[in-house]
Amino acid sequence: MALLDRAEWYDIARATNWTPKYVSQAELFPDLMTGAQGVPMEKWEVYDEPYKTSYPEYVRIQREKDAGAYSVKAALERSRIFEDADPGWRSILKSHYGAIALGEYAAMSAEARMVRFGQAPGMRNMATFGMMDENRHAQIQLFFPHEYCPKDRQFDWAHKAYHTNEWAAIAARHAFDDLFMSRSATDIAVMLTFAFETGFTNMQFLGLAADAAETGDFTFASLISSIQTDESRHAQIGGPALQVLIANGRKAEAQRLVDIAIARAWRIFCILTGPSMDYNTPLEHRKQSFKEFMQEWIVGQFERSLIDLGLDLPWYWEKMIAEFDYQHHAYQMGLWFWRPTLWWNPAAGVTPECREWLEEKYPGWNATFGKCWDVITDNLLNGRPELTAPETLPIVCNMSQIPICAVPGDGWNVKDYPLEHEGRLYHFNSEIDRWIFEQDPARYRDHMTLVDRFLAGKISPPNLLGALIYMNLQPGEMGDDAHGYSWVEKFREPAKAAAE
Amino acid sequence: MTKENVADGYRNNRVGPVLRASPITASVIEAAEEDNPDKTIRVDDKIAYVRIDCDGELILRRETLERALGRPFKMAELEVNLGSFAGRIETTDDFVRFFYEKTL
Repeated sequence: MALLDRAEWYDIARATNWTPKYVSQAELFPDLMTGAQGVPMEKWEVYDEPYKTSYPEYVRIQREKDAGAYSVKAALERSRIFEDADPGWRSILKSHYGAIALGEYAAMSAEARMVRFGQAPGMRNMATFGMMDENRHAQIQLFFPHEYCPKDRQFDWAHKAYHTNEWAAIAARHAFDDLFMSRSATDIAVMLTFAFETGFTNMQFLGLAADAAETGDFTFASLISSIQTDESRHAQIGGPALQVLIANGRKAEAQRLVDIAIARAWRIFCILTGPSMDYNTPLEHRKQSFKEFMQEWIVGQFERSLIDLGLDLPWYWEKMIAEFDYQHHAYQMGLWFWRPTLWWNPAAGVTPECREWLEEKYPGWNATFGKCWDVITDNLLNGRPELTAPETLPIVCNMSQIPICAVPGDGWNVKDYPLEHEGRLYHFNSEIDRWIFEQDPARYRDHMTLVDRFLAGKISPPNLLGALIYMNLQPGEMGDDAHGYSWVEKFREPAKAAAE
Repeated sequence: MTKENVADGYRNNRVGPVLRASPITASVIEAAEEDNPDKTIRVDDKIAYVRIDCDGELILRRETLERALGRPFKMAELEVNLGSFAGRIETTDDFVRFFYEKTL
């Protein structure tokens, strides 16, 4: 039997808006849940999703994708990639799975909100597939690390992280609760699918795949790039939603949502992808620097598409570009310094050769971040490892939930951006983080950072041990230097030679 | 590279698919050359992904791909390997088009 081409039936099959008789439109689609900003339902009928699929196509294609990812895994299972990989690379896998896998469930819930409350039939249709995509991502990213659990219990955190009050998990939850879990259908289309997915997920799922392939971890490269093919489709839900908003005089509001989402996504990927690419990936396997990947994916590709849809650059564009040069280096120092509070073992990534590479990619690194690493290196060389361990608490940003930090040494620019609101003093990492808070203080004001909880007496005993207990980090799980400090030895010989 | 160069990096008109490492990549490059004869197709191979792009508009036709692959091909199959793309997209049963509406 001859089948009609998709184009011949698609528009008719998709036309699923109707006029309710038993309840009012407002009851069926409350503004709070649709986020339509007063744009009436009929105006959404022009919404035309650019990346189309149908249910039979979806099932066939997804089956092929899964078969591909699982067969690469099966084929390489008996290789010794896991055992032979650099410990820094294993840390990348651990941080990735813990930070991402359950976040995919949050994204699934967000897609489901578009399925139910999207104003455009095309949005509801594509979000149905998007919802199933995100379920696939959660499942597959729990299944792949599961086989590593008997070898290394830190991999248990692929599932455990989001169920704890570990600080990085709090940071991820805070961002994903904000962007995915507690927004309307239209907000989600703009913030999750457009800003987060057409933009930043490319960094972690394709950029990092390039490093994975260089490292020889083809299982991970195949897995994450396969996930991104789903993202690439359902991320297109956002574009036409933006066009409807702009065409109906809601550009300023759309721009505000995009600016908030980009800023929040930038913080998450800056701390997750930045150190992975520039410190944890072994030097010989780095395809590009984090900054170069940001230029390729975020500046060259994502921002360009934003302009094409009729939006402007975010008001903080120049500030964010400036951060490409330092913010993730500052985060890396924090991750390594507070290493017992992580569920992975961060690589220092500062051997003499690494430092040469960092200076080449980020001129000025030695005079700034390098000076702090000098002190750490000296303490380790002199047999004083206790001086490289945390004893105090950092000041944590009330938006990103990440310690406030910036450039040390000669380029010092570390600064708190405070804000007093209803009698409480808040601290922010930058003007951008503070601006997000100001957009909707009621949304954020009651949240307590980990340090706020400390000061409020919720963590006892009030020391590092108490914090580790509060964060549910068991012995054998808490992080330590990925290479057991062996990298320090590379400095010992030249130091000895210089002394003689 | 100065900060100004980085900040201006969005000023480009390059569009096209970013494919995962896949058995169809070589054929897609071949089809891109054939379907866009007046364009210079740029290929950036990062092993895990290959960025294929040109200025303004890039079309991939099913018929051309079938010829390059030497087998039947449904346009929707492209999704299996389409990790990302630069530009906007139009998907039909017979072709996929990447484009920008505005020229910067």
